[in-house]
Amino acid sequence: MRIIRVAAGLAALTMAMAACGDDSKSSSATNAPAPAATTAAPAATDAAATPTTVADTTPAPIVGGTGEGGELRLWLNGGDTPDDFVKFAIGEFNKTHPDVKVTFERQQWTGIVEKLTTALSSSDSPDIIELGNTQAQAFEAAGALEDLTAQKAALGGDDLLQSLVEAGTYNGKFYGVPYYAGARVVLYRKDLFEKSGIAIPTTIDELMAAATKLKADNASTPNFSGMYLPGKNWFAALPFIWVNGGDIAVQDGGSWKGVLDSDQAVQGLTEYQKFVEQTSGAPKDGDDSKDYLAFCNGEVGMMPAPGWKPGQIINKDDGCPAMEANIGAFAMPGLTTGTTSPAFLGGSNLAVSAKSKNPELANELLKILVSKDYQKQFADQGTVPALKSLLGDITGSDAATAQAKAAQNSRFVPSSENWAAVEASNILPDMLVAISGGADVKTEAAKADAAIEQILNG
Amino acid sequence: MAQSSTLEMENSPSMERTEHVDGITPRRRRVQPLPYLLLVPATAALVLMLGYPIVRLLTLSLQEFGLKQQFGAAADWVGLRNFREILHDPEFWAVLRRTIAFCAVNVVLTISLGMAVALLLQRLGKGMRLMTMIGLMLAWSMPALTSTVIWQWIFDTQYGIANWVLGRQGQSWLSNPLTFYFVATIIVVWMGIPFVAFTLYAGLTQIPEERMEAAAIDGAGAWQRFRDIVVPALKPILLILTSLSVLWDFRVFTQVYVLQRAGGITRDTNVLGVYAYRISIGANQFDKGAAVAIVMVGITLLVTVFYLRSMTRQEEL
Repeated sequence: MRIIRVAAGLAALTMAMAACGDDSKSSSATNAPAPAATTAAPAATDAAATPTTVADTTPAPIVGGTGEGGELRLWLNGGDTPDDFVKFAIGEFNKTHPDVKVTFERQQWTGIVEKLTTALSSSDSPDIIELGNTQAQAFEAAGALEDLTAQKAALGGDDLLQSLVEAGTYNGKFYGVPYYAGARVVLYRKDLFEKSGIAIPTTIDELMAAATKLKADNASTPNFSGMYLPGKNWFAALPFIWVNGGDIAVQDGGSWKGVLDSDQAVQGLTEYQKFVEQTSGAPKDGDDSKDYLAFCNGEVGMMPAPGWKPGQIINKDDGCPAMEANIGAFAMPGLTTGTTSPAFLGGSNLAVSAKSKNPELANELLKILVSKDYQKQFADQGTVPALKSLLGDITGSDAATAQAKAAQNSRFVPSSENWAAVEASNILPDMLVAISGGADVKTEAAKADAAIEQILNG
Repeated sequence: MAQSSTLEMENSPSMERTEHVDGITPRRRRVQPLPYLLLVPATAALVLMLGYPIVRLLTLSLQEFGLKQQFGAAADWVGLRNFREILHDPEFWAVLRRTIAFCAVNVVLTISLGMAVALLLQRLGKGMRLMTMIGLMLAWSMPALTSTVIWQWIFDTQYGIANWVLGRQGQSWLSNPLTFYFVATIIVVWMGIPFVAFTLYAGLTQIPEERMEAAAIDGAGAWQRFRDIVVPALKPILLILTSLSVLWDFRVFTQVYVLQRAGGITRDTNVLGVYAYRISIGANQFDKGAAVAIVMVGITLLVTVFYLRSMTRQEEL
C-alpha cells in the first residue's frame, strides 16, 4: 500500500504542477490560433504559414540589406502578393537604402485580427502591415497605426482608390494606404458549360437554371456542385442580400440597426438557401479555403470567388495547372438582363505600426509599395491595383475582365470601428451555416441582427 | 519538475526556523540567508509566471479595457460591472452548462476506459503489453494541435476516411453540436487515456497477489474482486486522476477551437476556454474576457480544494 501512497503523492505533485502550470497552458492557448490557422488557410500560403522569412516554394528567405542602417519587418497576408513582387520592392528599396535590412514575413488571413492585436501592441511589432479593408477601422480607432496624413500626397494622393481610402481614414486622419482591391466574380468550368450546352447566365434565374442543370448533368461525380457554396463563405451570400435591396446593418440615428431580417434581406437569403440546397455539394459548414481543391477535383461547375482564385487553382504545388484553359469567369448577374449583382469589394490597406522603430524608413518602403511600377504588377496579374490611373491596364484572364465589370457595382460591409469584432465572432458564418442546414431564414437572421447590434453599438 | 522542487524547498526554511527557535544561543536565532537565497529564483519564477498574470487578470476584470486601452489609452475602473454583465448574459450560462457537461462526460469516459486499458495491460503477455504501451506512449506524446488536425481530417465532410468507411458521403460531423462534441470527445479521451492507464497500471502491480488469490478461493467473482479489492486499493490514485482530468477537460481549448475552424456553428459549440478567448482576443473585450477567465479559475480552484481535502482525509483514516 505504501507504494500506492507514494504514487498518489506523486500524482498530487503533478496536480500542483498542473495548477501552477495554468500560466504556461494559457499562454500556449494564446499561441494556438497561429498554427491552427494553418489548417484552414489555403495551401498556397501553407508553405509560408509560420511567420518565418521562408517564401512559398523557394527556400531562400526574402531579406534585403545589411542591417547597419536599421531594420524593417514587412507583413503581407495570404497569397495575393506573389514573392516576386516583394523581391522587386525590397530590391528597389535597397537601391536607395542598402544599409537597411528588410525582412518579409508572410501571414495568413485566417486569424489575422487576433494576431495583429497582439503583435501591434507588443514591443516586437512589425513595421508595415497589411489589413483587410473590413478590419482597418478598428486598428485606426485604437491608435495602433501611424498617422500618415502628411504623407498622403507622396503615397499616391488623389490617384488612390476612393473606397479604400475611406477604409483607411478615421476621424479625418489617413492611416491606411490602399494596396489593392478585388471584386468577387463567379468562376465556371468552360468545358462543362459547353457539354451541357449552357450560355453564360445573364440573370439570377438563369444562374439558378445553369447551376441546376450542371448538377444534374454531372450527377455521377460525388459531391458535385452546380454552384459551390460552403456555409462559412459569407462573401458569397452578400450579393443575394444586396441585389434584393437588403443590407447587413444600417445607421439609425447614432446607433446601428441590424437589418438582416428585413423582407428584402430575407428574400435574398432564402434565394441563397435555395442555391445551397439544390445546387451545392460543398460542406454546409465548411469555408472557402479548400474550394480550389474541389475545383481541381472536378467537383465544381461554378463558384463565387475573388479574382485571384484562378492563380490558386493552377498553382503548381497542390493545384492543377492543366485546368487553366477550362477556367472562365463572369460578373454575377443581377435580377434583370444587363445588370450585375452588387459584388463584395474586398481589398487591403497598408499601414505603419505606431510601435515601429523606424517610421521614416517604413514610409519610404510604403512609397515603393504603392508606386506605379510596383502596382503595375497587380494590374498585369489581373488584380485591381490601388491606383486609379492603372485601372485601364488590368489585363489577362477572363477573371480580370469580369472583375473590372463587377467592381463597377460593388458594396462594402458596415463602416464601423467595431466591424472587425463582428467578423471575429463568426456571426455571419454561424447564420449561414444554420441557413445552409435548412434552418428558418427569418429566425436565424434575427439572431444575427441582435448579435451584430450588440457589437456594433458596443 | 522545477515546480515540484519548489514545493520541497518551500518547506525547508520553515523547518529550520523551528529548530532555531528551540535553539539555545540567541545568536543562532539570527536568520540564515542561504535558504532564503536558494528560495529566491523559484519564488521569482513563480511570481513572474503565475503571480503577475493573475494580478493582471484581476485588474483587467475590474477595468474597462478594449482595443483603445490595449494601445495606450487610460483604463477606467468599473468595479464589478464586467462580472455583472457576464453573469446576466444567458450565453455565459449556456456555455458554462455545456462546459460542465462536456467535462463530466469526458472525465467519466477517460477514467473508465483508462481503467479498462490498465486491467488489459495487467493480463497481456510481455510482447503485446509492450506493443500496447508503445501505442499509448505515441498517443500521449502527440501534440494536441497535431492530433486534432488529423482527427479533423478523418471526419472531414468530403474527403474524410470516416465517411468513406461508413459509406456516408457528405455527412457533416461538425455542423450538429452533438456530433461536434462526439468528435471532440473522441480526441480528448483518446489523448487522456494513456496517462490514466499507465498510472492505474502502476497501482495495479502493487496490489498483493495473495489477497486476490485468497478472495478467489473464498468464492469472490471477478467483479466482486474488482469492486471490493482493486477499487478501494486504487482509490487515492483514482481520486487524484479524476481531479486532474476534471482540471484538464474543464479548460479544453485547442481541440474545440480547431474543430470550430473546420466546421460547426461557433455560437453553439463554445466551451468556457474558447468563449473567454473569443470575447477577449476575438471581440477585443479584454475586460469581459478576463471576468470569464476569473470565474473559470475560481471553479478550477474549488475543484482542486475539494479533491485535495478529500485526499488528506483519506490519508488520516
